[in-house]
Amino acid sequence: MRIVIAEDDALLREGLAMLLRAESLDVVATADNPTTFLAAVDAHRPDVAIVDVRMPPTHSDEGIVAAVEARRRQPGLAVLVLSAYVEQAFAVDLLAHGGARLGYLLKERVGRVEEFLVALHRVAGGGTAIDPDVVAQLLTRTRPDARLDRLSPRERDVLALMAEGLGNVAIAERLFVTDGAVHKHIRSIFAKLELAPTDGTDRRVAAVLHYLDDADRRS
Amino acid sequence: MAWRTRVQPALLSLRSRTEEADDIVRPRVRISLDALERLVGGLATALLALLCLFLMIVTAVTCVVGVGLLLVPTALRLVRVVADRERDRLSRSGPEILGGQPAPPGLRDAVADPAVRRELSWVAVHATLGLLLGLLGLVLPINVLRDGTFFLWWWLLPAGEATTSLGFPVVQNLAEALGASLLGLVWLAIALYATSAMARLQDLPGRRLLAPGSGTDLVLRVAQLTATRAAALDAHAMELRRIERALHDGTQNRIVAVSMLLGAARRAVARNPQDADVILGRAQDAAEEALADLRAVVRSILPPVLTDRSLPDALLSLATTCPVPVLIDAEGAGRSAASVEATAYFVVAEALTNVAKHSGAQRATVTVRRVDDRLRLTIVDDGHGGADASTGSGLLGIRRRAEAHDGTWVLTSPPGGPTTVEVSLPCGS
Repeated sequence: MRIVIAEDDALLREGLAMLLRAESLDVVATADNPTTFLAAVDAHRPDVAIVDVRMPPTHSDEGIVAAVEARRRQPGLAVLVLSAYVEQAFAVDLLAHGGARLGYLLKERVGRVEEFLVALHRVAGGGTAIDPDVVAQLLTRTRPDARLDRLSPRERDVLALMAEGLGNVAIAERLFVTDGAVHKHIRSIFAKLELAPTDGTDRRVAAVLHYLDDADRRS
Repeated sequence: MAWRTRVQPALLSLRSRTEEADDIVRPRVRISLDALERLVGGLATALLALLCLFLMIVTAVTCVVGVGLLLVPTALRLVRVVADRERDRLSRSGPEILGGQPAPPGLRDAVADPAVRRELSWVAVHATLGLLLGLLGLVLPINVLRDGTFFLWWWLLPAGEATTSLGFPVVQNLAEALGASLLGLVWLAIALYATSAMARLQDLPGRRLLAPGSGTDLVLRVAQLTATRAAALDAHAMELRRIERALHDGTQNRIVAVSMLLGAARRAVARNPQDADVILGRAQDAAEEALADLRAVVRSILPPVLTDRSLPDALLSLATTCPVPVLIDAEGAGRSAASVEATAYFVVAEALTNVAKHSGAQRATVTVRRVDDRLRLTIVDDGHGGADASTGSGLLGIRRRAEAHDGTWVLTSPPGGPTTVEVSLPCGS
């Protein structure tokens, strides 16, 4: 797996590169600002870009802008965004065009190396990885809309794990239920959220986006 | 005990009677001396007003032929200068009179401006009535002396010309001279009892016409407060943003790095314990950096030395961290409200950062003085000058901090140096 890292903090940038190389992953380039990051993406055509949200010059959302631009230049590039804090607007920006090959994690998740690597591989493999904190924030809204109200507590648990990017098997493991039970819950979620099986979009991502979008509109 | 209670009231009343006399005479003399001083002070501005009046008349006359139009701005400027002088004078002896807004730039607007018109009418009144009263104030004490001592020296004057200061009557002998000298007492009575009314009369046009029109001064003050309040909120928001950034991009990143390195070390333990040790060492370094970062952030919020010790101590510790040698002279600082001291500290901190970064100075001096109820800071460096308040964010920060405290701020930085930053803050204590 060929990786480009964009992170302006030298210690984190080098630490992350060291950590990934120790795991036999191929870090082909590191960058400390959006410009060199985009140049590195053009030059190396990596499989995954790991991008910090706050980068020079203004330290606001340069990372998100750069990630979106990198995906425009290289469609299919997997992007894992690291953020110092939960900002669902960033998640919504990122996921606006679908959640495939996208991840949005808090920086400290890197410390749990096994879980971080699982998320990295999931994103590189075409999946989604949304930080549990982001998902939790979205699901504990005080006034969810009517459609979200229809979900049972169990279905909300399942949707939360879906939003993190877990597959059916992984969800079944986490919730200590059978594969079939998860499948049933998910069908029920799609029905309650009025996501028809025929409209061609990835319904799992659509369900998550429904949450993100809804939460964003109300915040 | 009994006799003492009887005697004491008598003693008390004796003393109080002499004091009573004192109480009447002394303040009366003082009041009249004050009034005379004010009248003579008013005479000075009245003479200036007379000059203005003369210039105004010349301008008005020459305006008829067109040339005078060129004189109008000068005349208006001069009127403003003289009026401001009178405002200062009146502010010293009574309630403060705030200066008006600058006159509108256009000629027509300036002449139509009510404040300008009021100043012009003040010039006319003060140059005549004010001048007369001022002259009287000057002549009165002279007349008291001249006529009061007339009986001593009347015989020195040529016969037929020995008169009082009024020019009559002509005195022939000592009895008449003594009678004439009574006039000195009349002058004295006027000086004692009429002068303060005269001074008030002389001040009246200025107080009426030079004070900003009703509403104006409040409007000015509100505008000023709104601006400084906005600046205070701006400075506050900037400050929070700076702290947030310092915590997120500094301290938090360091701690994330610690966590990341610990994670890497745990993975390495199984593979190669030696690697793990190296990584753990780096994790410890990162933890120490996080602590140093945190300390720096805390110090930048409110330096502990400022709350624990005093402003001079805090400034001394600032000076030691500045790469340019700094002389701190803050013994006259006294103690001020905590927020004022914090502002003073940050003003000096930002000024010294500027000195170190931009001035190229060899040395700098920081002087802090308590003058009345204001804290005055002066930061001078021997650098190459040319500092521009509109470009330097540090200087802008100093200005915002000062204005947020209703303080004033002056930057002098000619090309070639030296650069001086002067800040004056109300102490609030």
